[in-house]
Amino acid sequence: MKLKVLLVAVLVCSLLLAGTSCRQEIRADEKGKVRVGIVFDIGGKDDRSFNAAAYDGVKCAETGRHPDGKPCDKPSLGIMLRDVEPGNPTSIEPAMRAFAERGYDLIIGVGFAQAPIMEIVAKDYPNINFAIVDGASTLPNVASLVFKEHEGSYLVGMIAAKESKTGVLGFIGGMDIGLIHRFAVGYEEGAKAARPDAQVIVNYVGVTDGAWNNPGKGKELALAQIGKGADVIFTAAGNSGLGAFDAVEQAGKDAQGHATHFVIGVDSNQNGVKPGFVLTSMVKRVDNAVYQIVSDVVNKKFKGGFHTYGVESDGVGYAIDQFNQSLIQPDVIQQAEEAKRKIISGDIKVTDAMLK
Amino acid sequence: MKLLRELLFPVIAVVVAFVVGGVIVWVIGDNPFEVYGLLLGSALTWPDGIGYTLFYATPLIFTGLAVAVAFRCGLLNIGAEGQLYVAAFACAWVSIKLGGTVIKDFSGAPIGYGWVSLPAVVLVPLAVLTAILVGGAWGAIPGWLKARFGAHEVITTIMMNFIAVALVSYFTQYYYKAPGDPIMESVPVGEAAHIPRLGAFVPGLPERLPLNVAFLLALLACALVYVFLWRTKWGYEIRATGANPSAAEYGGISVRKQIVLAMAVSGALAGMVGINEVLGYRYRYYDSFSDNYGFTGIAVALLGRNHPVGVVLAALLFGMLQRGGIFVDAFSVHVSKDLVQVLQGVVILFVAAELLFRGPFGRFGLLKRSKV
Repeated sequence: MKLKVLLVAVLVCSLLLAGTSCRQEIRADEKGKVRVGIVFDIGGKDDRSFNAAAYDGVKCAETGRHPDGKPCDKPSLGIMLRDVEPGNPTSIEPAMRAFAERGYDLIIGVGFAQAPIMEIVAKDYPNINFAIVDGASTLPNVASLVFKEHEGSYLVGMIAAKESKTGVLGFIGGMDIGLIHRFAVGYEEGAKAARPDAQVIVNYVGVTDGAWNNPGKGKELALAQIGKGADVIFTAAGNSGLGAFDAVEQAGKDAQGHATHFVIGVDSNQNGVKPGFVLTSMVKRVDNAVYQIVSDVVNKKFKGGFHTYGVESDGVGYAIDQFNQSLIQPDVIQQAEEAKRKIISGDIKVTDAMLK
Repeated sequence: MKLLRELLFPVIAVVVAFVVGGVIVWVIGDNPFEVYGLLLGSALTWPDGIGYTLFYATPLIFTGLAVAVAFRCGLLNIGAEGQLYVAAFACAWVSIKLGGTVIKDFSGAPIGYGWVSLPAVVLVPLAVLTAILVGGAWGAIPGWLKARFGAHEVITTIMMNFIAVALVSYFTQYYYKAPGDPIMESVPVGEAAHIPRLGAFVPGLPERLPLNVAFLLALLACALVYVFLWRTKWGYEIRATGANPSAAEYGGISVRKQIVLAMAVSGALAGMVGINEVLGYRYRYYDSFSDNYGFTGIAVALLGRNHPVGVVLAALLFGMLQRGGIFVDAFSVHVSKDLVQVLQGVVILFVAAELLFRGPFGRFGLLKRSKV
């Protein structure tokens, strides 16, 4: 019986303690700062791609440093940042509401799948600013951060075709949807422009959310494309794309120690994931877009509606760094820069597959 | 005394789990009391916290009951996940076809998906019945396979989960998705199929909270399961089969029939998750909506000792953790929402490892083995 009493006592005490600490929810550092909440996609903030880029952007705004501790080229904005990785589709709405209930100044949603949920929440909180990456909304308090992926894909398509020995290129998309068709069509147009006889093999990992997180299938598709003669493979498949990185590494190096097959990374700069095997990355500067919208809120210049990022604002582009300098010939880079200027001036029009 | 004995282990398990979790939080570098304050505080505030806690508990009550009923018959239903997927899809399908769904394409031209537009009084019961029957049928298949061929239900239900998920994804993607929608979801169901949110009746509860009538249905299901298992002949036969199949057979009970019946009831209960999801929350079928409800149901049943009342209590605890986990993830400095998984894991570990305690507690006479 003594034991029972003890148990009850422990239980009551823990409940009491829990109850008393409820009241100090908001920490002292929250006062006076602009408060930003970010809700990641199912993939989570460490996907080394899309979500990671968004995290990088808000982290720079918070501390002036990248998540790995290196300083950003942009100043800290002195905001207070809180983030949620929902992990399942039922938790996205309460996560956004959690920030809204506490009167956050800006709530950022990452990924198109959050757009319909953000519409519902943003309607209930017209005085709070929202931003959705890759999604679209017509509400006045929601900023839609969208990218011209087709333009960036066009440029890497050109580079791929110029550097390919076989003239056969691969494309591996994640989910078979309009947004990813945009990458595929731009890539193909770029390749054909640089090399009219270029052939592009297009495959998709799947049709469900799981398609973003299936590196095994990504590797299989890449190996199949290599089997058909492809020697440069562009991935736009989130985590699944990392399978293609393994595939080109498996394809090996020639006698001089150069890789025989290459992969092109996506969203974040993935050149360093497998150095020597990554020709370049089609970077989508989600980090810049997110940083920009935070800075708008801090400077009280927030505007709803579409914020479009293309090659003209370096919202999309290709990445050159110490890992791939030696892989691409200087004249190819010159041609790509030339094409970039023409896209900006309107001389080259890249098809946007989502408008078809 | 009997009640106390039933409650003892689950309660100890929960307390121990919180202590272990607290130590982990402290090691990570946050204040455990603050984190638990955040966890429980956010889950128990009125109206948002409590509303969401009950909403999260609803599917877990259904799947917990499903697992419990099968378990009473000596069967382990790992297939609740698949059963709830097919049932939710079927429920949405009926509500689309008979609810007269019409959507607009890019140019604004209407596309009709429905055959007829039934009024709510007919459509809602029909959709609810579809979820129950389809879930039941999907559950009865492994039951029949076991009764007829002796195929082990753990294997068959797991396999049928894969079939279920692939099947409903296929139909959603190729037949019932709005053109150009990048999200894997069906077109919305007819408005007549919506069941009311509890905010419509309960004063102070805003209607934006997704807590809906399905929660009341879950409580009703609990009462019915209790009556079924302990007050009817079928329930008696199911429990007898679970306790000792050979003795039940000798006593004139058709064990095969009981296995199919138990799996069908189990599947039907799991299928009712679809009512909460489709008719009460999203008003459409949303692919991979289930946050492993079917598998968490096993934990809920285990913690709830396969008793309807226990299942409700366990589901409420898990619902609380799910709600609070979001706040811990967002507003604590270091701890992520994985803390909730740690808590759940430790709870299960300690409930499952009852034997560990049997020695020390045995001498207090608290642990006489209870009857079936």
